[in-house]
Amino acid sequence: MILVGILLTLLGFVISLISLGVTSSVGGRLAIVLIGLALSLFGIMGVLNKAYLKNAIWKKG
Amino acid sequence: MKNSTKRLLVVLFVVFCIAPLALAQAPAAVPATAPAATAAVPASPAPKPILDADLAGTPVPSADAHAKGDPDGSLTGNASDVTVSDPKKGLTIGDLANQVGQNKIAVNFVWTLITGYLVMFMQLGFALLETGLARAKNANHTMMMNMGVYGIGMFAYWLIGFAIQMGGVGAVANLGGTAPLSAEFTATIFGKPFGLFGQHGLFLMHKGTYDVGVMVLFLFQMVFMDTGATIPTGAAVERWKFSAFAVTSFLFAAFTYPLYANWAWGGGWLANLGTNFGLGKGYCDFAGSGVVHAVGGLSALAIAMILGPRIGKFSREGRPQVILAHDIVLVITGCLILAFGWFGFNPGSTLGASSNGNLRIGSIAVNTMLASATGMISAMLYMWFMFKKPDASMTGNGFLAGLVAITAPSGFVNPLGAVIIGLVAGVLVCLSVAFVERVLQVDDPVGAVSVHGTCGIWGVISLGLFADGKSNYGGSWNGVNGSVTGLFYGDASQLVAQLIGVATLVGFVFTLSFIFAFLVDLLVGQRASAKSELEGLDLPEMGALAYPEFELKS
Repeated sequence: MILVGILLTLLGFVISLISLGVTSSVGGRLAIVLIGLALSLFGIMGVLNKAYLKNAIWKKG
Repeated sequence: MKNSTKRLLVVLFVVFCIAPLALAQAPAAVPATAPAATAAVPASPAPKPILDADLAGTPVPSADAHAKGDPDGSLTGNASDVTVSDPKKGLTIGDLANQVGQNKIAVNFVWTLITGYLVMFMQLGFALLETGLARAKNANHTMMMNMGVYGIGMFAYWLIGFAIQMGGVGAVANLGGTAPLSAEFTATIFGKPFGLFGQHGLFLMHKGTYDVGVMVLFLFQMVFMDTGATIPTGAAVERWKFSAFAVTSFLFAAFTYPLYANWAWGGGWLANLGTNFGLGKGYCDFAGSGVVHAVGGLSALAIAMILGPRIGKFSREGRPQVILAHDIVLVITGCLILAFGWFGFNPGSTLGASSNGNLRIGSIAVNTMLASATGMISAMLYMWFMFKKPDASMTGNGFLAGLVAITAPSGFVNPLGAVIIGLVAGVLVCLSVAFVERVLQVDDPVGAVSVHGTCGIWGVISLGLFADGKSNYGGSWNGVNGSVTGLFYGDASQLVAQLIGVATLVGFVFTLSFIFAFLVDLLVGQRASAKSELEGLDLPEMGALAYPEFELKS
């Protein structure tokens, strides 16, 4: 899951970067960048952090 | 003639005498019609050029006059102090022009160096703040991390970090002589050149970078990097192995920070989003809400996630427990020192006081003050309203949140914008601390992720909203003519450029930091042993207690 989280986070960045090449409209770029940003945040908070919380120190008795 | 009539005449006489005087001093009325008469005014003669011959007779105080001393300062500093290139010719226009140019660069050098020294002083603020928020049994360890990062970070930055960041920035006009920093590695993406990293400046000797202007730039950029490098120590406090800290700090200063700083400040692809893709003036970050604070805050998040929380921070059900700070006096002293140092951080980022647009240093300093005040006020009121007491540590965090947030936009917004940015940051930091602790269940003892990460990102975004288009630093920014203008003043594309910067921070910088932290965990081990943690890291990690004569509670 750690690898999946990292890949999702990086993919969000790549999507934001691609916004520069696929459209020249400000609104279009804004939408794509926000999608990329949301994906990166999900990768960090929804996947990566959850993977670490599974073995959190307070759960170990 | 009656007395009353006499008095009336005297009054009228006085009025007629005074009225012309009063009118003469009154501002001229706006002409109702076009001032046709001005055409009749003879044009003033063209200014006569000054010749070398005119300088020959420039009066200079005699040696005898000087010998008597100069208590009022009227004799010191005159034409005899101007360096003359050829004594046979005497003082020439060329000599004067050279002296003026050198004076301009000298003013900028002194300004940049002194503001750099102020930023270095912030290291003490961080040390006191983090140590005060930790428990007494970890005070030596925490202070050592804050001092250690200065030396370790600087060494790595000298070795390679500065070259990666600034090796391709080109000549910085305000500092006169940074032309050797001229090689940026670029890749072509979407048909445009993407600057990725600089190539000149290794060891400050490589490719002609043993240069006075480069030295000033290095000092100023080094203390900025060091500010970023010290942020993770706060999030990892009380459980970080010192060896892991040392390796992580080296990697941060050598690679993580310089890469993003190159993209934003060193002529890299983010700065060129304006010239290459028509997005505002490119990604703008005046003094580093993103480059310094968000990079540090996101690295802190990656390290804190891998480290895990301190023993006792969460109950077995996952509820956060309060672990008290050991010295609020240190905490508040640290906050105030940081606020003082910020007057170097933001106004100093002009890299000069004597150039086109650099007199904005006044408004930059005032914006910095205002945002810190409103950040503090809104955090204090939030805590007072929600928890019935104006909590000191969160008020301090609000103070810093306002400063972090105004760092990027300080050079481009007006005082009202600064006040709003600070107000939002103060509340945002309180919400973010609660989110990180209760929802993410990440243990961040000093709130570094929220203060620097969350509010750093807010600062970057706020620039894209509040930049008022009134600043003018030589007529352009990042190679695009005009002034930086945000969404509320008519340029939505600037906000998009800022958001691409944020996506790079969250998606790339976090990932790179995480990979480094993961590798350090595999090779060195990030976390101190549970025994050391319970005992306090001072003895097991550092070999000495900070307060050996105190009786410490475990």
